[in-house]
Parts: sequence; C-alpha cells; structure tokens
Amino acid sequence: MARSLPDFSNSVKLKYVKLGYQYLVNHIIPLTLVPVMAGVLMEVLRLGPDEILGLWRSLHFDLVQILCSAFLIIFVATVYFMSKPRTIFLVDYACYKPPVTCRVPFSTFMEHSRLNLKDKPKSVEFQMRILERSGLGEETCLPPAIHYIPPTPTMESARGEAELVIFSVMDSLFQKTGLKPKDIDILIVNCSLFSPTPSLSAMVINKYKLRSNIKSFNLSGMGCSAGLISLDLARDILQVHPNSNAVIVSTEIITPNYYQGNERAMLLPNCLFRMGGAAILLSNRRSDRRRAKYRLVHVVRTHKGADDKAYRCVYEEEDKEGKAGISLSKDLMAIAGEALKSNITTIGPLVLPASEQLLFLLTLIGRKIFNPKWKPYIPDFKQAFEHFCIHAGGRAVIDELQKNLQLSAEHVEASRMTLHRFGNTSSSSLWYELGYIEAKGRMRKGNRVWQIAFGSGFKCNSAVWKCNRTIKTPIDGPWADCIDRYPVHIPEVVKL
Amino acid sequence: MAEIRYTCKRTAVSTKPVQPGKRLPLSVLDRLMEPKHLRVVYYYGSDGPAREAGERTRTLRETLARTLTSFPKATGRLQRDSEGRWEIDCNDAGVRVMEARARGSVEDWLRNAGREDELRLVHWEEMLDTPYFWSTFYVQMTEFEGGGFAIGLSCIHLLADPTCATLFIKAWADMTLNARPTAPPPSFRALPKRRPSHRNDPDRHNSLINHCKSSINTSSLTPSAKFGTLSLAFTEPIVRSCIAMAQPVDAPDGPGPSPFEALAGLFWACISKVKGEREGLVSMCLGLDVRKLLGLEREFFGNCMVYNNSLHARDNEEDNSLPGAAKAIGEMMAKLDKNGVMDLIEWLEINDDTGPKNTRSLNFSELLFLNLEGIEPDTARFEDTHAPIRVSCFFEPPCKEGQVVILPSTPKDGPMSRVVMVTLPEDELVKLMEHDLVMSLMGLNKNRA
Repeated sequence: MARSLPDFSNSVKLKYVKLGYQYLVNHIIPLTLVPVMAGVLMEVLRLGPDEILGLWRSLHFDLVQILCSAFLIIFVATVYFMSKPRTIFLVDYACYKPPVTCRVPFSTFMEHSRLNLKDKPKSVEFQMRILERSGLGEETCLPPAIHYIPPTPTMESARGEAELVIFSVMDSLFQKTGLKPKDIDILIVNCSLFSPTPSLSAMVINKYKLRSNIKSFNLSGMGCSAGLISLDLARDILQVHPNSNAVIVSTEIITPNYYQGNERAMLLPNCLFRMGGAAILLSNRRSDRRRAKYRLVHVVRTHKGADDKAYRCVYEEEDKEGKAGISLSKDLMAIAGEALKSNITTIGPLVLPASEQLLFLLTLIGRKIFNPKWKPYIPDFKQAFEHFCIHAGGRAVIDELQKNLQLSAEHVEASRMTLHRFGNTSSSSLWYELGYIEAKGRMRKGNRVWQIAFGSGFKCNSAVWKCNRTIKTPIDGPWADCIDRYPVHIPEVVKL
Repeated sequence: MAEIRYTCKRTAVSTKPVQPGKRLPLSVLDRLMEPKHLRVVYYYGSDGPAREAGERTRTLRETLARTLTSFPKATGRLQRDSEGRWEIDCNDAGVRVMEARARGSVEDWLRNAGREDELRLVHWEEMLDTPYFWSTFYVQMTEFEGGGFAIGLSCIHLLADPTCATLFIKAWADMTLNARPTAPPPSFRALPKRRPSHRNDPDRHNSLINHCKSSINTSSLTPSAKFGTLSLAFTEPIVRSCIAMAQPVDAPDGPGPSPFEALAGLFWACISKVKGEREGLVSMCLGLDVRKLLGLEREFFGNCMVYNNSLHARDNEEDNSLPGAAKAIGEMMAKLDKNGVMDLIEWLEINDDTGPKNTRSLNFSELLFLNLEGIEPDTARFEDTHAPIRVSCFFEPPCKEGQVVILPSTPKDGPMSRVVMVTLPEDELVKLMEHDLVMSLMGLNKNRA
C-alpha cells in the first residue's frame, strides 16, 4: 500500500509535468506574443492619440514609399499564394463488399486445402497453423475461381475477378459522390500481381466510356503500399493540372496468384490474402472544398530497396516444381521495423508538435555528447494523430507497430478488425480501416489520420490526412451490416 | 445415354457464420441407417421463364447459401463423440455443389433416362477415411440446354430421411421465390422421450423390435446384381381402378384400401410372382414416416422412419392376391402406434453399443416398400407457378431384394395420383413389365425407365 502510493503520486506528478511542458512548448508563440502585444497596447494607450500622430509624421513617409511598400506586400503575397501547393481533397471513397457466396470459413478453407493437396499433409498442417494464428475471421472472402475443387486460376477468371471488384467499387463511388464518368480527369489503377494487356485502367476506361484525353496510369508490381504510391502520383499530377479530379482504384486480384505448390514460405499468402478493393476520388477544385471528407496533408515514401536483404524479403519466384508463388522471408518483421524507423525519421518533423521534437532533439544531443547509453526517445505519435490506419498485412505487422509506436489497443482496433472481417486485402486495407473508424462515428472535424503501408521492395509509405468535416453515422459501406458486432475479441489461437 | 457435362464443383457455405462449438448428437433411429444414402431429384420443366445459360445456377447458389444458414446440421461434419458414436460438429464447412449442363430438354430426358442416367443428376461421394473432411450433403444443379433444370440432392441417411431432404429443397425453393423462408425453420431436437412411469416392459412383444433384432447385423451387404429402376406414373383414374381391384372380397362395399395400400399391394403381389413365389408373397419390409404419430412437427430434421416387416404381421400366408396383399399392408400400417415406436426407441437406446468397430444398422434383406406420400413435392417452387414435373427418390445402395418407393405425383394428375419407382435386378424388372396385371393397369400411360 505504502509502496504503490508514491508510485501513483509520482506518475500523477509526472503526467502534469508532461502536460505543462507540452502546453508550454506547443504554444510558445502565442505565449510570447501575448505579453509583447499587451506591452505595446499599454504603451499606445499611455501615449495618447496626438503623440501617435506626431510619431507617424516624424517618419516622413511620402506617397512613393507608401505605394512601393504596398506593392511589395502585394507582390510577396501573390508569390506566396502562387507557389503554395494546391490543396488536395479526398471527396469520398468506396470499398468493395464481396458477395456472401464468396465467404470462406476456416473449416471450408482447410477442407479444400486437404482435397487439393491430398498427398501433402504437412503443407495442410502448416496452413492450418497459420490460419489459427492469423487474426482472420470467418467472413473473409476469396474470389469465385479459388472456390472450385480444384481451383481454376485462369486468366479469364482473373479478369472476371478484376471486373467484379473494380466495376462494383467504381459504381459505388459514382453513386456516393455523384461523379459522372465523363468528368474524370485522371485515373490511376494499382494492382500488384495481375497486369494484363490491355491494362486494368484501360478496362475501366472501356467499361465506363471515359474521355479520350484522360490521363490514365496503371501501377503494377508495387506491393501492398501501392495505394499510397498512387496517392502520391495523383497528388503530383493534380499540382500540374488545376481544377481537376482524380480517381484511384486500389485492389489486389488474387485469382492468378493462388499458390498450388507446397513450399511453406509461399503458402503464407494463400492463407492471408483475401478479395477486396477501394476507389477514391481526389480533387483540387475549390468547389469540392465544402463536401470533401479529408484534406491531404503529407505523403512520405521510404524505400529500402538498396539493402539486399530488404529487397529479397518479399520475393516472387518459382519453387522446385516450377510453381510460381510469393515467398516471404523470416526476417520480414525486422525489415519492416527498420523501414518504419526510416519513415518516422522523415515524417516526425513534419507532424510532431514542437514539444516532442524538442525532446527528441535533446535526447539525440544527449546521446551523442553525454552518454550513448541513454535510451533513444521514441516520439509520442499519439500527440500528432487521433487515428491510425496500419496496413492489415497480418497480425504480426500490427503487433509490431503497436509495440514500436506505443499505441493503445483502441488505436490499432481499426486495423485488427479489418484484418478479422476482410483479411489482408493488400493496398485497399487502409481504406477499409478508415471506413471502420467512420462507421464507428469516431471521425470528427480536425482529426488527423496516419495511414501506414508496407510493401515489397521493401517500402514503407505514409499518408497524413486531416478530417474536413465531422462524418455522421450511419454510413453505407462494407461495414454497414456488421459494425455493431465489432469490436470482437480475437483469440491468440483459434481452435480448428 | 444422354449427355451431361460437369461444369464445376465447389462448396456452398451459409451466409452467416455458425457459432463455434455447437454439436448435434444423432438419435438411435439415425444411427440405424448408417450405410444408406439418399438421392432425390426434382425436375422442373421447360415451360418456366427463359434464362441465360448459367444465370439460374448463379441465383440458386446465392439462395442456397442463404438457406444453409438455417441448416447447420447439413453444413457440419461427422465426428465421433467421447463414446465413439457419430455426432455432427457444426463447423460451418458447407455442402458440396456440383454444376452440370445437359443436352436436350427435361421432358426428353425423362422420356429416355434410365436408372444410371438419373443417378448422374445427383452427385455423391462415398465417405472418406477422414470423415471430418467429407461433405455429408451434395447438391447438383443441372441446366438443360433445351429447357428446364434439375436439382439433385444426396445425403447420408445417417442425418436425414426423405422427408428431411424434401424439407431442405422446399426451404431453398421458398428462399429463391420469396427471398425469405415461408415455412418454420427446421428443428434439430432429439426424439421425444416417454416419462418413466409410462414406459412399458421392454420385453413386451413388439413387431418393430423383433424386426430390428433380426435385421441388425454387422456386415453390410452390397448387392451384386445390376439394378434397374422403373418409374411409373399412376394418374387418378388408374389409381381408382387399382383400388377397386384391391377391394377385399369379403367387404366389397367397405371404404377400400388407400392408394398406397392398393399400389403397394399390387406391386407386392406382382413382384412376388416375378421372383418365382408360386403361392404366398415374398417377405417385405415397410418403411413409414412416424412424425405425426410421435407428435413431431413436419420440420423435425432427422430420421423419423420405422421399418416393419411382413413376417411378423401377416396372418394369412396363402393369400397372394392383390386384395390380400393390400389388406395385409393395411393391417401392418394400422398396427403401428405411438407406444410401439416409443418401445422401439427405448429398446434401441438401452441396447445402444454402436461404435467405430461395431456399426449396427438395418439389413434390408427383404423387398422394401417406402411410403413417401407425405412429402408434398408440389410446394417446392423455385419460380412462380413452376412446380416440379417429377420427383425421384433413390434409396441407395438398393436393397438386395429390391425396393418400391411410392411418392405423390403432380397435383394436376389428381390428388390420388402417385409415382411408383420400382428398383429390381434388371431381369426381374423386365419380367415385371410383362406382368398382365401391371400391363392392364398401365395401358399407354407409363414412363419407361
């Protein structure tokens, strides 16, 4: 009893000290400005109007000087406003909800595994163990071609899946935003593993009869972080083209990549990747300012490809039997941690409040000069953001990031629940997570969101959004029918 | 042989996940039926609305998924409980679905299809060594290029009797037609139990128990002869004339036998002759649904048929005429009472020592007659005003001596009309077709199988 009391009072004292420090440093400018202005005001009041007028006349301003100063001010202001980057708004986005007939419960997945890999019981056992610990739920969906016994991953069925996902998510976006197909100026489609000719963006243009002068891009091979790469690309193009909008379609077509061999490192994606997709409408038009949901603040991209280990950690190759699959190396988590550190180093100064940056700087100086044994200060990102969307790559990724960034369970709830309900939908998972936060009614005006995605290469990309208007529930979307059941407790190991 | 092309095979799962950990035990009546499986085919004619190839199958798959939410017993898997008896683990694994396309129209098919052809419309797989990964229900949807479609459902008899199979199809049809179930959901409860004070002395003479005792053995007999199935449609006038013929000689103005008694009597007498019985009738076994008798609702999902054989029921061994046979059947059906069935159930529970090494199941060594008059196939409509034009029910593997299944026919043939499916070794079937009694009744109105 006696021992706990001092701890408690210590921690309370520490908390107040911390709060006081943060308030002081973050509001330093108002805190210094207010006394100065108060002083000036007192002086002015003391001097009286006649004396002020006398002071003014003694400066001997004539017309030329006044006009020049005015022009200078106007000129500087114009240059400032012209060179300011255009604000990019996220008007709205739509996520794909797969049909219920595509649902894959654990028992069905295991049964199919057993039927398709009849003579490889060890591989089946391995898949079962992965699935038990994966953090996925019983409502994730696989595309129709994978449901067949045996699966038929032909190009035709891959195109079928692409059409199913992309067209329904585009229709959903059109309906939500009132956008007309002919008004789309920029189209970016990213799908890492399936890249037919003509491209998926051409497929979209053909289906919706988009304009002939549309700027279309198709990004493939860029992994699960391709969604944020497309975002970066869209942002850059929207800087060049005024008064335009951009549609980004992020998806992953699973059909052609269902691994049919029995190499363990390559069986992992089979257990985790699921069907999903998202379409996002971005705009730099002033007229969309009012109805837009979010404003894009920063996009930070970090690439660790120069390091050989990072380059090879997610590698698509053929196994001994010639079957192609994606091999995940054992040090994936360590590399992800490194990539994240790199990304944080860049994004930290952009988003962290002055208090955190000062602390970090002081600790850094201290470590360099005084004592290298000091623990590096991990900035508290909870000060900078209200919501976190961590790519639902797997349970391990979310656990690792929660530990590294010292986040609470509520901060990572969106990621965990998205993994449970939809599985790893690759580049679109960030949008499902954002949809979860909105559906729970937690998104208020001014809230800042940090989206973190990892991808093969090895890349770590971040996007920072600021909420433009409070988003009211209920919203329609993939979470509409099940949001009340969440959050669920996900056991460490599900008994199969 | 008509051509069928199998398009694909997959698994249909329910739309809502099943709560994990649910287990459904199987009753003693269920466990008696272990080696058998059922195959039911519903045929829908080409007069329904025209659809694109594959479109109907797509819709049906979706509605099947929604129907399965009410049937966790069908989507679960078999496993042994702590005492080595079968139970169902409701693990949400789903049912296997086969899709197929056939040439011609449904009507053409029905005219020419034999037993083997009909069985190809219902997919079935024997139990795997690891039953936990083996689907107990199989659904096949066959689209006929010339018009019409067929729905085939097969299931292991351990889980369902023919009434259950038709219940499932009706629920599915309701879901397709109305986008929601119209009938009450299936109930998976246990068989009713009597209060201890009402229980009878278990050794009391009971023909059901005696039949069970003599019939249960541990070896399964696979018939070696090649079987054929004949489906005969009896319209109302023909049934009436059959009833007239089956009127007992000593009570010509009495109420007369029911359509089942008359038809069953007819076939019992004819098949006995065909099998070479000069006087008297071959021994036969009668299967009857006892849901009503036990006070169970129609939606009771589980085995609820009892089997009684003629050896213990018949008084007059000499009478091999149609009226005699019909009378004997009538007597067997009348003797069946709730107490008798409850005695049987209790006897089975007391003597229940089934396990993996010791499967006790009924050995149908007599000619089997199944009374499926209560199944109401007409109510299973997938599309408006489009009732099935035919329903076939196969009880597999066929009984050694053969079997006769009597089902209701389409109502437009009259409420008394019936379809009789006779499965016999092929040579006996040929002789049956040439039997004068059968030929005189049938005239032109028959479907050769």
